Amino acid sequence: MPVYVLGISALYHDAAAVILCDGVIIGAAQEERFSRLKHDASLPIRAAAWCLKKAGITAADLTYLVFYEKPLRKFERILATSVATFPKSWGAFPRQMRTWLGDKLWLRGTLCAAFGVRPDRVLFCEHHLSHAASAFYASPHTEAAVLAVDGVGEWATTTLWRGSGTSLTPISEVRFPHSLGMLYSTITAHLGFAVNEGEYKVMGMAAYGQPRFRAELDRLLKLDPSGGYALDLDYFSFHWHPTRSGTPALEALLGPGRFPGAPFTPEGGAAGGAARAESQRWADLAASAQAQIEDAMLHLVRHAKAAVGTDALCLAGGVALNSVANRRIAQEGPFAHLWVQPAAGDAGGAMGAAMWVWHAVLGHPRQPGLARADLGRSIPVDRAREMLTDLGAKFEAVDDPPASAAADLADGKVIGWVEGGDEWGPRALGHRSILADPRSAETKEHVNSRVKYRELFRPFAPSVTAADADSWFDIPAAAQEPACWMLTTAAVRPEKQATIPAVVHVDGSARVQVVRPTASPVFHQLVSEFGRLTGVPIVLNTSFNLKGEPMVSCTVDAMASFVRSGLDVMYVDGLRVERPK
Amino acid sequence: MGHLRRAYLGTMSEVAWRLPGWPQRLLTEFSLAERGSMVDMLAAAQATPRREMRRKYFLHALDEGRHAGIFAERVKALSGGRVARSDAVIEDAGLLQDHGIVGGKTLFERLGELEFLAFVFVAEADAVEQFGVYLDRKLPDPETTAALRDILKDESFHVSYSKLECERYRREGKPVDAALRAVRWRRMKEGWMRFTRDFGEWASGFWLLLLYFGAVGPFRLIARLESGGWRSASGASAVARNGLDEALAAARLES
Ligand SMILES: [Fe+2]
Ligand SMILES: [Fe+2]
Ligand SMILES: [Fe+2]
Repeated sequence: MPVYVLGISALYHDAAAVILCDGVIIGAAQEERFSRLKHDASLPIRAAAWCLKKAGITAADLTYLVFYEKPLRKFERILATSVATFPKSWGAFPRQMRTWLGDKLWLRGTLCAAFGVRPDRVLFCEHHLSHAASAFYASPHTEAAVLAVDGVGEWATTTLWRGSGTSLTPISEVRFPHSLGMLYSTITAHLGFAVNEGEYKVMGMAAYGQPRFRAELDRLLKLDPSGGYALDLDYFSFHWHPTRSGTPALEALLGPGRFPGAPFTPEGGAAGGAARAESQRWADLAASAQAQIEDAMLHLVRHAKAAVGTDALCLAGGVALNSVANRRIAQEGPFAHLWVQPAAGDAGGAMGAAMWVWHAVLGHPRQPGLARADLGRSIPVDRAREMLTDLGAKFEAVDDPPASAAADLADGKVIGWVEGGDEWGPRALGHRSILADPRSAETKEHVNSRVKYRELFRPFAPSVTAADADSWFDIPAAAQEPACWMLTTAAVRPEKQATIPAVVHVDGSARVQVVRPTASPVFHQLVSEFGRLTGVPIVLNTSFNLKGEPMVSCTVDAMASFVRSGLDVMYVDGLRVERPK
Repeated sequence: MGHLRRAYLGTMSEVAWRLPGWPQRLLTEFSLAERGSMVDMLAAAQATPRREMRRKYFLHALDEGRHAGIFAERVKALSGGRVARSDAVIEDAGLLQDHGIVGGKTLFERLGELEFLAFVFVAEADAVEQFGVYLDRKLPDPETTAALRDILKDESFHVSYSKLECERYRREGKPVDAALRAVRWRRMKEGWMRFTRDFGEWASGFWLLLLYFGAVGPFRLIARLESGGWRSASGASAVARNGLDEALAAARLES
C-alpha cells in the first residue's frame, strides 16, 4: 500500500487540501473553488474529498493527515499578546477566546470528525515550516536558503531556513507583532482596501505614484544592521484591536485613510482638482509602501545570503506574492536563482506540510520540483457537454481548440478559457483564464469595466511563449522560474511597448507569465498560434472570475460568469460556447 | 402567524428605514443574502439529478446575482458613492460570509431536491411578503423603491415556479406537505438558534471580559511583547536532526 499524506490548511486565510501518494502530488485544491466563497477559510472538506477521489482512496487509506499549523502554540501567542497589551486588548480578547475555546483549541478532534481519520494519524506542522517546505521541497533546488514572510503564523512572522536535501533547518526568525505582512496589510487597509484581498490593488496603485511618503513610512519600520527589522508599535493596533490595524498616530502621520470605494482618478479624467490631488496622495502612499516592502525584502534576502550562502533562494508566505518585490530581489539581490511557491499564501501551507511529512518526517528522498500549476479539479468532457446542454447553451465541439481560440482572439473577441485542472494558487495561468488581444489599449478598459467589473487602474498580465519571452521582456536572470508562475514583473522592451499597450503598466513593466510547453501544453499552443496569426506571441491573461468571486472551477460556475460578464465566447476544454443573446 | 410577522416587519421597517445609516445597513444585508442564494442556487444547478431542473436553478441564480448587484448599487448611491468602512467588504471585494454551506455540504446536498424546492418556496414567499411590507412603507428614495419593485417581480416568479415544482412532486405522491413543514420548522429553529447564539455570545463575552479584567490583567506586570529583529529559531521543527521517530513524535504534538 502506498503512503498517502493529506495536507490541510484552514481556519485563518485560504483553506486548501493537497494529496501526496508516495511523495508525488496527485491533487491540490483550494476550498474557495468548490464553495464559491473567495478566500474561504473553513475546513476544506470539499477540497479534501476531491483529493481523495482523485487519488482513488477513502479517508481510511490515509497514512497521515497533516495540519499546517501548531494550534496550541498559536493560542499561546494570542493569549500572551492579549496579556501584554492589557487593557487595550479588552475588545479583542472576548472575540478571540470565543473562537478558540469554541472550536480551534480542540482541533485534533475537529479534524478527525471532519475528515474521518483516526487521531493517531493526525500530525501538525508549524505554520512557517509549512511555508518554507512549500517553497523548498516544491523547488528543483537541493541546496537553498529559504525565506518565509507573511502576516503571522504561531509566533513567527519571518523565518530563515537552510534547505539541504530532505532537511530544513531553522536559522532565525522574527516574531509577532513585528511583521512585514502586517505592515503591508495595515497600509492596504489605510488605502481603503480589504486586507488579504486588496494587497494586489496597492501594488497596482503604486505604479501611479512617487514614493514621497518614504520618510514617514520609515518611522513605522526600522531595518537593523544585523539584517532584521522591527515595527514601531505606536502606529499599529492589529495586535490588540479587534478590527483596526493602525492607531490614530498612523493617521496623524500619513493623513486620513482612503474611504473604501472612493474613486481613484490619478490621471484626472472627469475628476476635478481636489479629487485628483487626493488620488495622487493615495498613489504616492501606495508607491511608498511598495518601495518600502521591496527594500525590506532585499534587506532580508541579503541577510539570508550572508547567513546561508547558497546560490538559490526559495520564497513563500503571503509577501512572496508581491511580484514587483520579487523582481527587485531577482535583479538586485545576491542570489542567482529565485524560486517562489505559486500558492505562496496560506493555501500553500497545505502542500508544504504534506511535503514536510514525506521528506523530513518519513525521510524519503526528494522529487523533481513542481512543474505545473493545473493541479486542481478538471471537467470530464461528457459532463461539460451534459451541463451545457441542460443549461441551454449554444455550443459546438471544435477540432483544434487552441487554434480556434487564437482565431477568436485575433478577431478581437474576449474569451473565457477553461482547460484541464484548475490552478494552484491565486494566479490564472491558462486553465481558468479570461484572454484577450493585448494589441489595443482599449482592451484593458473594456475588460476591466465591462468584463470583470473591477477598478480601471488595475493592470493585466501578458502570457508569452517561452521561446519569445526574451525578445519582448527583460526578465531578470534569477527570476526565470517565478516568471512561469506570474510571480515577477519585468520591463517590457521599450521598442515593443506600443505593440501591446493593454498589458503594459504605467511604469513600462508587466507581470509576465512565461508559458512553457511542458507546463501548459494546450495553452502554449494557443499563445503560439496567436503569435502565428498576428506576429505577437502574447495574450492578455486575467483570472476567469467576476469581482469578489473565486476563479471559476466547473462548468456551471464558468457559465454563470460567462453570461454575467461581457465575454464574447467561452471554451470549456474542447467545446466552444457562444454568447447567449 | 402571518399577521404577527407582517406587524413585526412593518414596525421594524418604520424604524429601520428612517434611522441614519440603517437603510444602507439593511440593503447591504440584502445584497449579501442575495449573493448567498446565488451560490446556493448554482450549487443546486450543479448537483441536481433532475436534468430539467438545472436550467431553472441556473436562471434563478442569475436573478439572485442581479439582485445582489442592484442592492449593492443602492448602498453606494445612498452613501453618496461611499460606503461605511464596516461595509467595505461589499464595495471592495463583495466577500461573502453567509451562505448555505455547512460542514462541507451545500444547502441542496443537505436538504435533497424535494426539501430544497420546499425551502425555495418558503424563503421566496417570505421575501415577497417582506418586500411587500417595505413597499407599503416609505423607502428612503424613489430609486430604491423602483429597485425593490423590480426585484419583487423576480421573487414572485421564484415563488410560482417553486410552487409548481412542489405541486408536481405532490402529483407524484411525494410528501410535499411534510417537506414544507420540515422547512418551516427548520427556519424557526434556525432563527431561534441564531438568537441563542447571539445571546450566548453576548453572555460569554460578558464573562470573558470579567475574566480578562480579573485574571488576565494581573499578569500584565510580567508580560511584554516580543522585541523585533532576528532571534534564534524557537521551533521544534529541527527535530528531524534527531532521527525520524522523534520527528514523528514531535509532529503529533499540537504545540
Ligand atoms: Fe502564512
Ligand atoms: Fe432575490
Ligand atoms: Fe429569489
